[in-house]
Amino acid sequence: MPAAAPLSRRAFLARIGVLGAALGGGGLLARGLLAPADAATGNPLLPPVVDLIRPVLAELARDTLNGLTVFAMPGPDPYSRTQGTPSSTPGALESGATDFMIEALDNFVPFPDAIAQPISAALVTGLADSGIALPGLELLPPELRQLDRALAAYLQSDEAIPLSFPIAGLLNLMATQVNPLAVSGVHLSPFARLTYAEKAAAFALIEKTDSDLVALLDVHFPEPLKESVSGLLKFVGGALIEFATFGAYSEYGVLDKTTKTLRRRPVAWSLSGYQPNGPVEGWDDFIGYYQGRKEVHD
Amino acid sequence: MRDVIVIGAGGGGPVVAKELAAKGLDVLLLEAGPRHAKPREEWSTFEEDANNPLSGYFRLGPTDRSKPAWYREWPQNSFVWQLSGVGGTTQHFYGNYPRAYPGVFQGYDGADRNEYDVKHRFPFTYSELVPYFEWVEATMPVMTAAMGTKEQVFFKGAETLGLPVQTTKTTLRPSYRPQENAILQPGGTAGKTSDKNLLNYPQATGCTFCGYCFQGCMRPNGAPRNQFAKRSTDNSYVPMAITANVWARGGKPAELIADAYVTKVHSEKRNGELTATGVTWRDNVSGDEHREDARVVVMAGGCTENPRLWFNSGLPNQNGWVGRGYTDHFFDWMIGSFDDYTGNPKGVGSSARLDYPGYGGLENVGLPPALNAFSGTLSDSGIRGQYKNGRGATGPWDGPAGRVMGPELKELMAGGIDRLLTVLVITDDDVEAQNRVTLSALPADENGPIPKVTFKQRKRTRRTVRNREFMARKAAELLRGAGAKKVYRVDWAPLILHVQSSMRMGESAQNSVLEGSGEARAVKRLFVADNSALANGLGGPNPTLTSQAVATRTAEKIFQTYFDGDPWVRSEAPVVSTDPRVSVRMGQLGL
Ligand SMILES: Cc1cc2nc3c(=O)[nH]c(=O)nc-3n(C[C@H](O)[C@H](O)[C@H](O)COP(=O)(O)OP(=O)(O)OC[C@H]3O[C@@H](n4cnc5c(N)ncnc54)[C@H](O)[C@@H]3O)c2cc1C
Ligand code: SF4
Repeated sequence: MPAAAPLSRRAFLARIGVLGAALGGGGLLARGLLAPADAATGNPLLPPVVDLIRPVLAELARDTLNGLTVFAMPGPDPYSRTQGTPSSTPGALESGATDFMIEALDNFVPFPDAIAQPISAALVTGLADSGIALPGLELLPPELRQLDRALAAYLQSDEAIPLSFPIAGLLNLMATQVNPLAVSGVHLSPFARLTYAEKAAAFALIEKTDSDLVALLDVHFPEPLKESVSGLLKFVGGALIEFATFGAYSEYGVLDKTTKTLRRRPVAWSLSGYQPNGPVEGWDDFIGYYQGRKEVHD
Repeated sequence: MRDVIVIGAGGGGPVVAKELAAKGLDVLLLEAGPRHAKPREEWSTFEEDANNPLSGYFRLGPTDRSKPAWYREWPQNSFVWQLSGVGGTTQHFYGNYPRAYPGVFQGYDGADRNEYDVKHRFPFTYSELVPYFEWVEATMPVMTAAMGTKEQVFFKGAETLGLPVQTTKTTLRPSYRPQENAILQPGGTAGKTSDKNLLNYPQATGCTFCGYCFQGCMRPNGAPRNQFAKRSTDNSYVPMAITANVWARGGKPAELIADAYVTKVHSEKRNGELTATGVTWRDNVSGDEHREDARVVVMAGGCTENPRLWFNSGLPNQNGWVGRGYTDHFFDWMIGSFDDYTGNPKGVGSSARLDYPGYGGLENVGLPPALNAFSGTLSDSGIRGQYKNGRGATGPWDGPAGRVMGPELKELMAGGIDRLLTVLVITDDDVEAQNRVTLSALPADENGPIPKVTFKQRKRTRRTVRNREFMARKAAELLRGAGAKKVYRVDWAPLILHVQSSMRMGESAQNSVLEGSGEARAVKRLFVADNSALANGLGGPNPTLTSQAVATRTAEKIFQTYFDGDPWVRSEAPVVSTDPRVSVRMGQLGL
């Protein structure tokens, strides 16, 4: 880990959500646990805190993606309320869209580790000196050396990084750019703390391909990969919205994949009135031929 | 030594395989993805099961769905919708089979001759291709689409535009009509009942109006494979290719191997000319490599994969046009919401169209909920009401163009998916060198360096942009004419599914990869026979019919040039792919 100034390091970890998720109010780690002596690990090569940090990062990713999927399809849940667009009918969380995203990102996006690893590393080792004042920072506890070490060890290990983590980091980084106050508050992640309009503003930054971010990532990649990485960001920005929406409106949460049957009626089907009696072999919607013409010739 | 090896069993490859197998050649058809021999067991009708591009049964990837899909690089907000598997991307398609506009061919001298991409025309005339159109139309067979409610609503809107109805196969002027499509018309109880007990073959034949075209057609229940309603090539040309001995005199069944990824086309200098000699392919399951030699090699892996294979094979790219000129019809998406029932999710995905030679066209497209939602959120104009990403055009639609998402999308969908009518705007787009496939700098996969698909969305030619704006306005007028209370324009980011011309044939050796015969200019005995061989975007019509007509012509050129045979399209009668001899033989083969 480069020896960045502790204060900016702290700001950076807060921005990607790790500091708050681990140690903030409602955080997942008791501060004392970060003392190495208190922790055990199955892998003798990794420092003990890595075992503690892994579930924190997973929860942070889930919380961030909850914030994303309700952005795609709000419902009656607390995240939609925070976002300012509560809805009385079931939404993305009820339809299982967050699990859809996590499963897709962590298991199916065939994204090479050779890229995921440096992007994750870039995000986590990245500069914090963004010039953004983070008013909520004083609410977060100051411990970070152990946290930093744990993250670094985790990222430098040969464990595959679940892609949901750098994606969450990206969204949180953008979130604190849009609203610095999002470093602390309800939920675990800065992105989940945003309003609908602020989330949109965060995506506007990604679609433009925020220059700070590109600069941050670019230092980690040689040409011609540099250009690919910034292009990838634009792709990721669009894909996050489109996939979250696809997942929210699909049968994902209720489809039993082994029997190929539905456990319940999918949220989107109830909402939209699709297939009122379930899958069909056909419909009685054949009206005839336009102007009675069944074939044409030159 | 094979006579012919065809790479890819998608829209184009099986056409060459079938035609040459019918002539008795020894044909090997290699397909990178799965063979869905038992759709009733392998498929369902769920979007998550079918259309999830990462893990669905329709994706670009190996048969084993627990393995990741093959990743491709797209360095922009876009989506390339290509499929692996027998049938290729036609497993997804809607079977729309309009002919290319005559204006995109050499020698066209209509009054509007300068309205097309005149720099990138086909190197032969429209009338040269007509017998091949007719041959494919008879083989599939292509029919005039049956009408459901959503088509009736579309026609109601089209009737307000002051255009005539087209009643010919050839499109001569702006007009609208039912699609000519490769969908068997409903017969018996099909289209007349929702009672599944009454929808078994042969009581029901042809299209049952189930509305699952995007999830794959396996209807009517119990029909022989070659009599499924939707004529994707896994139901039409592939069954014919592998049963060629029973329906063609002197025919020899083509051998089909699925899960076989071709990683290299071999070539050597012969008499001073670079000549293709065979291929290496990799078994996705075992990882074993196989090498086979052939007298002729035909690339039909599609617009994205052919350039990749070309580059990975170390073949020459003298004028730099391999992978360039990738056209995609610069689509846009318009959504109309109605007070009344539109029947949106029922019936074939799209059975009505409007053509505007020189500009492009429109077609209705019905989609299930997740794809509907996906389509509403793929935009280059940000999120409606929030940000515009530097665009957000206004016009005869409501509010700025952009993603319809979040609360707005939910409200729209809650109004009823069967109260929507969605229109695909299809642009007559110019061939542009900058839209292209190269090799990616991202890590290679097990089959070698991967393709990168670059689209300069914001730098299209003035004519292309003009055409898209023109057609988007027409779409809005049509939707209003049909009674839409609200019209949304999404301003799609590139959704690349009408893929064309990345290995184009052309009049000039300066900007084309193939001769008019389909043979590579730089490599003898190497042909390309799929959408990538097309000279341009056809003016807007959906590409598969034209690809297959050109592929049929290419098969004749191969037979004449390298096997001393005679052409047959003008002298013989085509056999229809629903022929009972094919059904019986498929039954014997357990397929
Ligand atoms: C949703 C959707 C709707 C559509 N609707 C229509 C429509 O109504 N009408 C129409 O005309 N068109 C339609 N299209 C487009 C149509 O699907 C394509 O025009 C057609 O499939 C293209 O055929 P192709 O042979 O060029 O490529 P593909 O069909 O993509 O086939 C290429 C095949 O080659 C295989 N392959 C690739 N590389 C290799 C390799 N190295 N080794 C072995 N195998 C390889 C692939 O796995 C694939 O099966 C639609 C497309 C989509 C996605
Ligand atoms: S609507 Fe017709 S063509 Fe489409 S899947 Fe159903 S039966 Fe097949």
